[in-house]
Parts: sequence; C-alpha cells; structure tokens
Amino acid sequence: MVKIAQVAGFLGSGKTTFLIELVKVLVDRGHKIAIIVNDVGEINVDVRIVEMYGLKAKEISGGCICCQIAGNFANTIAVLQKTFKPDLIIVEPSGVAIPWGLKRAAEYSEEEMEGEMIVHAPVVTLVDALRIDELITSVRRLVETQIREADVVFINKVDSATQEKIDMSVKFSKSINPNAEIMFGSGRNNQGVREVADLIEKRTSPRYDETYEKEMLKREYGGKA
Amino acid sequence: MADTMNHIERAVAALGDKPVDRLTAYPLAMGVCRRVVGDGKMTYRDWVSDPKKFASAFIEGQKRFDFDFAIGLMDLSVAAGDMGSVVRMDDQNTPFVTDPALKTVEDYEKLTVPDVKKGRSHVLVEGTGLFVQALGSQLITAAFLEGPLLSLTQAASAEKVFMDMYNNRSAVHKALKTITEYNGDMVKAMGAKKPAGLVWDYLWGSYSCLGDAEYEEFEGQYARGLNELTGKEGMAMCIHNCADLPHLDTQIKAFKPAIYSMAYYPLIPGSPSPKETIEKGYADNCLIGGQIDPRASCAGARRRCRRPP
Ligand SMILES: Nc1nc2c(ncn2[C@@H]2O[C@H](COP(=O)(O)OP(=O)(O)OP(=O)(O)O)[C@@H](O)[C@H]2O)c(=O)[nH]1
Ligand SMILES: [Mg+2]
Repeated sequence: MVKIAQVAGFLGSGKTTFLIELVKVLVDRGHKIAIIVNDVGEINVDVRIVEMYGLKAKEISGGCICCQIAGNFANTIAVLQKTFKPDLIIVEPSGVAIPWGLKRAAEYSEEEMEGEMIVHAPVVTLVDALRIDELITSVRRLVETQIREADVVFINKVDSATQEKIDMSVKFSKSINPNAEIMFGSGRNNQGVREVADLIEKRTSPRYDETYEKEMLKREYGGKA
Repeated sequence: MADTMNHIERAVAALGDKPVDRLTAYPLAMGVCRRVVGDGKMTYRDWVSDPKKFASAFIEGQKRFDFDFAIGLMDLSVAAGDMGSVVRMDDQNTPFVTDPALKTVEDYEKLTVPDVKKGRSHVLVEGTGLFVQALGSQLITAAFLEGPLLSLTQAASAEKVFMDMYNNRSAVHKALKTITEYNGDMVKAMGAKKPAGLVWDYLWGSYSCLGDAEYEEFEGQYARGLNELTGKEGMAMCIHNCADLPHLDTQIKAFKPAIYSMAYYPLIPGSPSPKETIEKGYADNCLIGGQIDPRASCAGARRRCRRPP
C-alpha cells in the first residue's frame, strides 16, 4: 500500500515551505517519504531523508489530465515504488491542478505495480491568508476548485496575516466547502504542521475510481447499483 | 463481430447522424503507437523530433488497431518550445516544458511570431503531411494544434498567466495576438497538407478556470478567426477539450465544430456525463467524441475477471 498526500494551493501559497516541515515531522515518526513537486529546483531539503522526483503537473489543468501526462505521473509513482519503496508520497501539485484529477492519475499507477494499492490521504489545500483579497478576485474559480475538493483547508501564513484576513479566508472557504475541516497555521513557524501530519497518517480520502463508479451508476440508473 | 463498413463510411455515417456498424474510434494519444514501429524501441524524443518517425506511429498503429480517425496530436509543448521555452524530452515520457520562455511582463510584449518552417512546428507540419498522405484515402485524418491560450500558458506557466489576466491584461493580449498570428501560419501550413480536418485544443474552456466573459476575452475572440480560417483552408474544424465543466455553449453551439471530443469528468459537481451532454442537444449538429477511461476499460474489467479453475 502506498499513501498519496496532496498539498495543494495556489501559486505562492506556501506549499513548499509547509511540505518541508511536514516531511520532517513524518520522517521523525519513522515514515519513508518521497516527494513529487512541480519544480525541484527551488527546493532545498536534506536529500538523505527524502527521495525527490520532479514532475510538471502544469499540464494537468482545468480538470484535464492530458492522457499522456497522467501516464507520466503514474509512471513516476510506480518507479518510486519499485526503487525507493516509500510508504507515503507527498505531492505538490500546481495551482491549476484538480485534486480529483490527481487522484485518478495516481490510481493509474496500480497497473504498473503488481498488487500495490493506492490509498489517498486527506487532500490538504493551503489558503494564503495574506493574499486572500487577490485570490478571491483574480483567480477565484481556480481557488474555489481546490477548496471544493479539499478534505482539509489549511489557512496558512497566520504568523503575519491580520485577524480580518484570517476571518475572510475562513468565511470564503466555508462558503465553498462546508464539510472541509478548517485548520490554521504557518509553515514558516512550524505551526499546525503536526496536526496535519496526524490527519495524513490516520485518515483517508475517497478513491477516484470507486467514487466515479458510484456517481455514474447513480446518474445512469438513479442510484440503484 | 465483423465490420460491415469501412473507416470512411463509418466516420461519415457517424458525422451525419446515421447508424454505424460499431462505435467509431478516434484516438488522441498516439505516442504509444511508436511502440509498434520496428523493434518497438523508438523513444518519445525521437518520435517528436523527426517527421518520418512521427508519421510511422500512425501508419503502423493503423495496421495494428484499425482506427477510424488519425489525429495528429504530438504533445502540448510544440508552440511553447518554438517560442523559446526549454522542453524536456525523455525516452519514455511526453515532452514537457521545464523552463517557460515568458517570465516577465516585457517577455509577453517582446514575443515574436515563431517561424513555422523551423523547430518542432516544422516537424509537426511535415509529420502530419506524411501520415495524411499514407492514410488519407482509408480513414479521416486531422491535424492537431494547441489554441493560443493553451500555448501561452505552456510558454509562461498557467498560474502566472491567470494572475496576469488581471494584473497585466494588455500584455497578455499582446502575447495572445502574437500566438494567434503563429497559429494562423500553422493553419495555412497544415491546410497545404490536405488533412480532412483540424482539431483545436481549447483547453481552458472550463468554468472551473474562467467564466463566460473571461473566456470570450482571453480565448473566444482569438479562436473565432482561427476557426474561420480552418474552414477557409479546406479543413473541417474540430475541437478537443478535456477539461471539466466545459464551456459547451461557446465551444459547441457558437463555434460549431464538426466534432467535439471531451474526456468526461463527472465528479466535479455540474460537470456533464456523456448522456447528459447528448440529452441537452449538444450532439444535434456535432459529433461528440467521448472517452473510454483507459483505466476503467483495462483495470476495471480485469479486476472483475476471474481466472478459470
Ligand atoms: N508569512 C509567511 N510566509 C510564508 C509562509 N510559508 C511560506 N511563506 C512565504 O511565501 C512565499 C511562497 O512560499 P513557497 O513555500 O515557495 O510557496 P509555494 O506554494 O510552494 O509556491 P509555488 O511553488 O511557487 O507555487 C515565500 O516567499 C515564503 O517565504 C508562512 O507560513 N508565513
Ligand atoms: Mg513550491
């Protein structure tokens, strides 16, 4: 079994900073971790503790996982599994990626892994409280999608955001996804990271293929399987 | 069951809303067919760099799989690469941009029209010409191009472009105009190769990214001219959009493509299933190409199969 955890969020929301703190916590707890990120270049992590693979999730956009790109992502996971054998893979998707789409792409890797199953950790979406004004105007639809499909909305950068902006972030997130768990913290100050690590360890998020099948049956046959 | 129609009869019947002997097959991701060429060892890098190799996957793939259409999709970084982005080409992976060419607002403004006789644009045009020549009498062939907004997001990173649509609007339009000019040159070059159709990838026509007004502003106004030019150059205009929550009213009802292919993504609330798309009338004047999720058709079926005792 490989668990995949997505740390989503728009450009500059603090994903990489957060993810590094998160990985440290999880490695201390004895996990073997691999990270798949958009841009390997800008990350500076101790390579002894993590295996890193570069992946452009850019083309995974607006719901489209260009069929061939989905194959690359699945292949990256399968290769990781064969060579490094992590028990947890943390993914930093681009801000235009759709969490459901990434789940689907990740599940494709099962084809190449002989009996290994993919399990999804809760999808964590970071909301940048410092830039909430900009997020709810210029790229609103993209941010809405990420929040709508999150299991956990992590209001980030509370170390420097005003209470007013934090409140605005909560209100916006709840209006889009009332079911998501709302958490607060700061990747920079290592605040709230342990709590997210707990959720990633303990909880799971639904699989794409099972949810898809249920949804299609419901639509085609009115809910009767 | 034996086929009773040939490829062209079947495709033409489907387009004309007449009965067909079996579902028409419209493959998009043909890179995989390089593996049925020769010793099966052609790399992806080779496939996208040499017109003859590109065409060979279509020609050999056709012998093996008996498709009804040949659609010349290479990858989504052809234009971005020719605009100066660094494209990584692996042995077994689809090429992708690792370092976008357009980094600043000035870069949008300074962008010049790439020469379609050079770079991978040239490979794509010539490669398309070769498979059209080889297969055009047996099945329906089409060129495949990235729309201007898709090319721009590939050449400048999507997140940046989406922010700049608001913060640096006129610069974004300047770049889109340049890319549209390039696309016009590509349409003419493709038209000279005489494929039956040309498929536009208008990927960002998704309500999860852009509303109606923004979609019109950043794609619609540029797409209209290109759609028209496609017809003028003698090719049937087709659209591919595999985004969720697609702009069906604009892309099907207003743009009027002959074929609209989409990868259904029904888990996003409000995203239409194939059945719903047809029920709502979008298939009345347009052939809707749906998808068989590769995983659902392979893995899903296999999981349900039992080995005989
Ligand atoms: N105040 C504050 N700033 C932060 C925090 N986390 C990250 N930042 C800053 O936010 C900016 C972006 O941080 P990254 O971690 O690179 O964010 P990202 O989401 O990975 O960015 P991209 O990969 O470019 O989308 C940097 O300038 C960080 O220093 C935080 O918790 N508090
Ligand atoms: Mg980052």
